[in-house]
Amino acid sequence: MSVDGAPGVPDLDRARMDEMVEAERADPEETLAEVAYSTELGLAMAEDAKRVSSGSLSSESFWATYDEQARAEFGAEYTETPNPAVDKGGSCQTIDEPAADQLSCSVDSMDAVAEQIETPEEGDVRWGMVIDLQKCVGCDSCTVACKAENRTPPGVTYNVVMEEEHGEFPNTTRTNIPRPCMQCEKPSCVQVCPVSATYKMENGIVNIDYDRCIGCRYCMIACPYGARYLDFGGSYEDEVMGAGEVTSPEYGVDRGAREEGESPMANARKCSFCYHRLGRGEEPACVETCIGDARNFGDLNDPDSEVSRMADSTRATQLKEHTGNDPNVYYLK
Amino acid sequence: MATASSLPNFNPGFEDNRIRIAWYGLLVLTLLVGAYATYQRIVGGMATTNLTSITPWGAWVAFYIYFIGLSAGAFLVSTLANVFEMEGMEKIDRDALFAAIIAMVVAMLFVWIDLGRMERMYFPFIWRQLTSALSWEVHAYVAYIGVLTAELYFSMRADLVRVSNHASGLRARIAGLLTLGRTSLSESAIQTDRSWLKRIGILGIPLAIFFVHGGTGILFAGVKARAYWNSGLFPVIFVVSALLSGTALVMAVYVLRRKLFEGKPVDLDLLDRLGQLLLGFVLIDAAFTAIEALIGVMSLEGAHLSAWLTIALGKMAWSFWIVMVGLGWVVPLILTSRRSWRRRPMLMVIAGLSVVIGIVGVRFNIVVPPLVNPVMEGLPAGDYLPSLTEWATSFGIVAVGLLIYTLGAEVLPLTPLTEEDNS
Repeated sequence: MSVDGAPGVPDLDRARMDEMVEAERADPEETLAEVAYSTELGLAMAEDAKRVSSGSLSSESFWATYDEQARAEFGAEYTETPNPAVDKGGSCQTIDEPAADQLSCSVDSMDAVAEQIETPEEGDVRWGMVIDLQKCVGCDSCTVACKAENRTPPGVTYNVVMEEEHGEFPNTTRTNIPRPCMQCEKPSCVQVCPVSATYKMENGIVNIDYDRCIGCRYCMIACPYGARYLDFGGSYEDEVMGAGEVTSPEYGVDRGAREEGESPMANARKCSFCYHRLGRGEEPACVETCIGDARNFGDLNDPDSEVSRMADSTRATQLKEHTGNDPNVYYLK
Repeated sequence: MATASSLPNFNPGFEDNRIRIAWYGLLVLTLLVGAYATYQRIVGGMATTNLTSITPWGAWVAFYIYFIGLSAGAFLVSTLANVFEMEGMEKIDRDALFAAIIAMVVAMLFVWIDLGRMERMYFPFIWRQLTSALSWEVHAYVAYIGVLTAELYFSMRADLVRVSNHASGLRARIAGLLTLGRTSLSESAIQTDRSWLKRIGILGIPLAIFFVHGGTGILFAGVKARAYWNSGLFPVIFVVSALLSGTALVMAVYVLRRKLFEGKPVDLDLLDRLGQLLLGFVLIDAAFTAIEALIGVMSLEGAHLSAWLTIALGKMAWSFWIVMVGLGWVVPLILTSRRSWRRRPMLMVIAGLSVVIGIVGVRFNIVVPPLVNPVMEGLPAGDYLPSLTEWATSFGIVAVGLLIYTLGAEVLPLTPLTEEDNS
């Protein structure tokens, strides 16, 4: 998804943005003057390093020029510092392989090392949410934040908090269970749609194609979590002037102002984990706004991520596990 | 005895012109009201219904499965004649097939008006989802309407030829067109008709049972989110109540058309046989429903129990006890219980119509109760009664079916012309 022209992102021109960065940047000469080592060598290496980055200079010739000088200038600090840009067995070896092993850094040319760095792709991510029920205070701010973010019409509420009270006074307990769309691994809604208008994306989010949905509502019948809604065409226009003019970029598509008879009216709708926000590196609105920090969001495929560690904990549970839908929303008891 | 060259007693249409005028007047009035309500629904969208995101299916879906059932049931009754060659049944063969076709048309109109986006009704034929029962169903419906039409054609062709040869005016011309050019009345041509009737009937039986109506049952039973529907017996009950409503409809239509259109006495042996069939289907339907209820209650599973409690004791309990149990089971059970009563045409018309109305209650009780109870504790409960628009469009759509049926009954040879009066 392109961020350019995406709704909600300020449309600044590039030159102006570069200027702002330049103004914030520290002066390299001043900085290097404060340290004990050669300012001249530092500046020269920095300039040539930029050329290596841009591809106008090979990393081999960079090290041919600077390896000896750097060794002389920095001594042991240089030879024992992890440096991925070393030529294995070449003349410019700055650390040996046992040292590299010990420091667990790669020993290869800069290009090769760069290639090994994995950039996460859409398909590798499985977005998930973990909601800590001990932290949820039932303030409903997630419900409000969601409405404001997604501009849902009356009767369409992607995110509700189910409140349960148990026991009799004075021995009462209260459970608040926020319920977004579960973004199931095996979504019943996808299974039953007669026109494949709803489908699971590679990142685990269940999407609805408003241009294909025929409004048969079978998905709403089949969802065990009641997480799908029909857009009955209502609007807040009576209460707020111009309410229909504000757009919400669902599933990354900006549909413009709400217009009579146009999709998504009469289509099924549901929470998208704020897909449009994820595309610009933000968390879903409900996660960001949660006052008790009860909501956690991240990549369940990444074993080191906080959400996947939480989802694996013994406190973690899913709603209605018996249906086999395997939600990507977990709850901590 | 009729021969190929004469046209015995072919004079369909209302016997009494006053009844004709009153009937068409009523239909036109209902159609006008329905047309206005449909206009409201198209302009105002789904907001003109009382449906909500909690109860997303209502009257239109209930009527849709009702007419699918009526059609499947009527078709299966027709196979008693042309596949199983049960004696005397050929007299109601075309009534059953014609009613089955019209019931399908009506059912499809209900599906169509129920779509949030009516203009996308052809989308299921462009994009498919192999795991979706609904996707399979719409294809089965089309195949099934094809089977019904072919059956009616082969059942009626020879008589259409006779009508086009001997009658005059528009009726003869329509009959001539409907023969599709096969105008031979030779024994071999009629034999060809009969064998194709049987072949297509045999193909149609599994299509009607497993795909069209069993499949519509699976459409519900496959939804694990709704415990009340999610049972293996559910599609079977669908088929049984289809047989029940289909038999009842054919029985009522046979007697009424015979009396009002042809003014001829009814074949009482045939009526007795249909009455016995009806009695049997009522008992099976009641027994299966009782088993289904027992499974739900004995499993002590919350959602299943609460659906049954809603049906039996909720604020719509009257529709279960009076419409479904009363009209659907008790009234026909009493009326068909004695042989002498089964031979009284008007009593059988009452029994038939009573079931036909009673099964509407069955269909509403299938669709609505599981959608009134929330899927999870803490979510709001539904509360649904059809809106005026939903009722008016529904009556309008039913009137479309009745109009097509009446026009067909006035023009087409729905009673075999070679029949001998043996009653």
